[in-house]
Amino acid sequence: MGYLGYLRFAMERLASAILTLLGVSILVFTAIHLIPGSYEAVMLGPQAPEAARERLREKYGLDDPLPQQYMRWLLAFLGGDMGIALCRSQQSIGQQACENADQAPIIAEFARRAPATIQLAFMAAAIANLVGIPLGILAGLSAGSRTVRGSSRAISALGMGIPSFVLGTLFVYVFSVHDLGLTVGGYVPLSEDPEANLRAMVLPAITLSIFGTALFARTTRDAVLTVLAEPFIMAAVARGESPRQIVRRHVLRNAAIPVVTVSAVNMGYLLGGAAIAELLFSVPGFGWYVLAAIHKRDYAVVQAGVLVAAVAFVAVNLLADLAYAIIDPRTIRRGRG
Amino acid sequence: MKVPFRGDFLSRLAVVLLISLLLLGFVGPSLPVGDPAAIAFGPRLSPPAPGWLMGTDNLGRTMLPRVLQGIRITFVLAATPVLITSVLAVVIGMLAGYLGGWFDELVARLADVLFAFPSLLLGLILVAIMGPGVRGITAAIILITLPLMVRVVRATTLTIASRDYVAASRVSGASLARLLLVHLLPNIAGAVVVQATFTISVSMLIESGLSFLGIGVQPPVASLGSLVQNGSVYLVQAPWLALAPGVFLALAIFAVNLLGDGLRDRLDPLEAHGLK
Amino acid sequence: MRSLLQIEQITVEYATESGPLRALDGASLNVAAGETVGIVGESGSGKSTLALTIGRILPAYASHVAGDVIFDGYSVFAHSTSEMRSFRRDELGFIFQNPVSALDPTMRVKYQLAHILDVKSSDPSIMSQLDRVGLKDVERVANRFPHELSGGMAQRVVIALAIARGPRLLIADEPTSSLDSTIRDQILELLFALPAQTGATLLLFTHDLRSVAKYCDRVAVMYGGNVIEHGPANKIFSRPVHPYTEALLKAAPGAEEIGGKIEAIPGRPPILRGRSEQCPFAPRCRWVVDICRHQRPVAQTVDGRLVSCHRAEEMASVAPACQIIGANHAS
Repeated sequence: MGYLGYLRFAMERLASAILTLLGVSILVFTAIHLIPGSYEAVMLGPQAPEAARERLREKYGLDDPLPQQYMRWLLAFLGGDMGIALCRSQQSIGQQACENADQAPIIAEFARRAPATIQLAFMAAAIANLVGIPLGILAGLSAGSRTVRGSSRAISALGMGIPSFVLGTLFVYVFSVHDLGLTVGGYVPLSEDPEANLRAMVLPAITLSIFGTALFARTTRDAVLTVLAEPFIMAAVARGESPRQIVRRHVLRNAAIPVVTVSAVNMGYLLGGAAIAELLFSVPGFGWYVLAAIHKRDYAVVQAGVLVAAVAFVAVNLLADLAYAIIDPRTIRRGRG
Repeated sequence: MKVPFRGDFLSRLAVVLLISLLLLGFVGPSLPVGDPAAIAFGPRLSPPAPGWLMGTDNLGRTMLPRVLQGIRITFVLAATPVLITSVLAVVIGMLAGYLGGWFDELVARLADVLFAFPSLLLGLILVAIMGPGVRGITAAIILITLPLMVRVVRATTLTIASRDYVAASRVSGASLARLLLVHLLPNIAGAVVVQATFTISVSMLIESGLSFLGIGVQPPVASLGSLVQNGSVYLVQAPWLALAPGVFLALAIFAVNLLGDGLRDRLDPLEAHGLK
Repeated sequence: MRSLLQIEQITVEYATESGPLRALDGASLNVAAGETVGIVGESGSGKSTLALTIGRILPAYASHVAGDVIFDGYSVFAHSTSEMRSFRRDELGFIFQNPVSALDPTMRVKYQLAHILDVKSSDPSIMSQLDRVGLKDVERVANRFPHELSGGMAQRVVIALAIARGPRLLIADEPTSSLDSTIRDQILELLFALPAQTGATLLLFTHDLRSVAKYCDRVAVMYGGNVIEHGPANKIFSRPVHPYTEALLKAAPGAEEIGGKIEAIPGRPPILRGRSEQCPFAPRCRWVVDICRHQRPVAQTVDGRLVSCHRAEEMASVAPACQIIGANHAS
């Protein structure tokens, strides 16, 4: 029990996360090998010079049995070697600067682009939390009113229903036609010019946050309603606690449990959705890069991007699980349901 | 006849919206609204006018029939994979929940692995492998929505299977098929219908997202998502090109979500009434 | 003796989809300070509603239709919300059926007590409160989460929370029905030892006639949203006057579970949609006469207890002494 129990729980969750990631890596490895054509042609493109093909064959031991190839590939990946990006500029979309990326190690390109995506995800998550959770609490606490019930249901259906790219397109239109202080495109790294950076990032962040906001609002509302119906809330009322005390001491803490779980869901959405926001607002991030790679059939980048995203997602889920167990100590004993 | 959703304004609104959208999508294109494929039907990038109520695109095609077709394609592309997912999930989830043991464990592990992919990303990789197009997105949607649906079916099955009458009929020697079809299926149907409704809205989001990114449906087929993408190129000169299909898409997903809520209140009262 | 709690003609209804459902139909009960009263009846007799009404903690879909609850001379319904809160905090102590779910699952025991006592979680008074309810190893219990406690330990914690501020009225609603039978008596003994020490009044709402017979000074029998017989426990258990009380006692063979056996009384308890204009027990009563079906009986004092029965005098003279439970009645 106590801290030891928590430690054991954490180790179990960690092991399970690693297991999941191994599954993901096998899936990705298999998928790439299922693509028609030889591995070298898939990874390097059909026009690659023979020397490059030979290098790749040697690196991954392509003449060895698949399990050995997988091990080599995985070890290289874990060592930070994600391969080399392919470049066929005539098929690229947008202003994907192929000249710069040409033959650059994928990991360097990821590192260069990660800050924009991470900033975008953090801003979107912050907006979703700061707007969605208070809205949900308010809706949950005032659910006695029919009007509040109806309108919160309609708003959440709308918020979860409006695709981010539709909202983003609307933003692009409104903010390109009218000068409202926020820029569409024109990304500048945060370290260079924070103000210009924020001007450029607010719109993509709002676009990306809308789904999470609705998700948080809805989850929080349902959670508050569920907690309010719990016997310990009635017990607190019977002990003469005031509504404020009850909300602060009991409702928020207990309602936080499903909200933490949903944060992980939202994070997953952010990882995928970032591609849309980056594309719409020309933010040179990770998602856009992987998207362009899909268009170009640059499987080396796609495979690396998928793995990195899966690692990020599983890591976030693991954190959510660990946080969950702190808020709701019952989790540890119950294990996973 | 019993009036469905009595006293539930929002659910009725959802039903009316959905019926209107389906009529627009499935009957609309056969009305005299013009040929969606005819290039230079009108001037290029014209705003809405009597001959082309939703304006024209960069090739002078009239948008109205294109949007109507887009509605139909969006619904078909969302509903087909959900149907397949539902059937697969019912079979897998019931067996996993009822049989338990290694099969259940295997299903749970596989679901975990699929869950490890953020949905849009899973869509991206599947489309990357299978190539853009209807086949790719259908497969992607099925794989994305299957794990959650299986979990719902499995959990519901576990609850129902623990009830006395199931145990009683097992003891009395009913066959596995009989148990599953006669005793379990009718009882999990409500939860499946509710989940399937929400899944339709999820698959609309995925399909339109992928199509917007240019890796979903490919021309000449156009869903609402790819129409928005086409239109977004001419956003400043001709905003209606992107906004009209965008509004219809948002309406469709909104209506499906509302309907899902309403169905959950009716069919899955355990879930719905936290506050009693 | 001075009266601490007067419940007068209290009427409470629940809003349901098929119209109002009357849970309390003019129930009255007078409790003197320091008494221990067992309130018994079948499920649906209005017991729980009565318990909640005293603290005004009925759910939102319940409405107080008529009648009054007077605590120490003041009407509970006249209190403002903040007066009501301090009344609940300082004068009442509720003990619920399921102790584990009555405790906040995310909070260690010591913090739950600290909130009530308005002290820091390191305050020694927390340990002394836990000690008071007979918990051993109080340090460990204080640091535990509710789910880490056994049912009996959790109920002791709930009792500690209820008595922490020295309430004058303890209301226990089925406090032992979710516990193992082996620890029921321990909890009941604790529950009844406390009023003896502090002079608090205890209302025990329960199915369990045996524990009422064993521990309570007085008994109130509820039926159809009414208190139909109320008086000293030894009198009622040895010689019930109301036909329902008699049937209830006969259906309860000594120490065994009561719940299942009550069906031995033919028919079902009434479901009231409005004020009952007859004796609510009339449809099931084997002593029923014409007047029972047309007129509500008024409570009258017969043989040292209050009875609501048209034939109370007759019953008191003919009813045989009921030995089944009375035999167990030691106090």
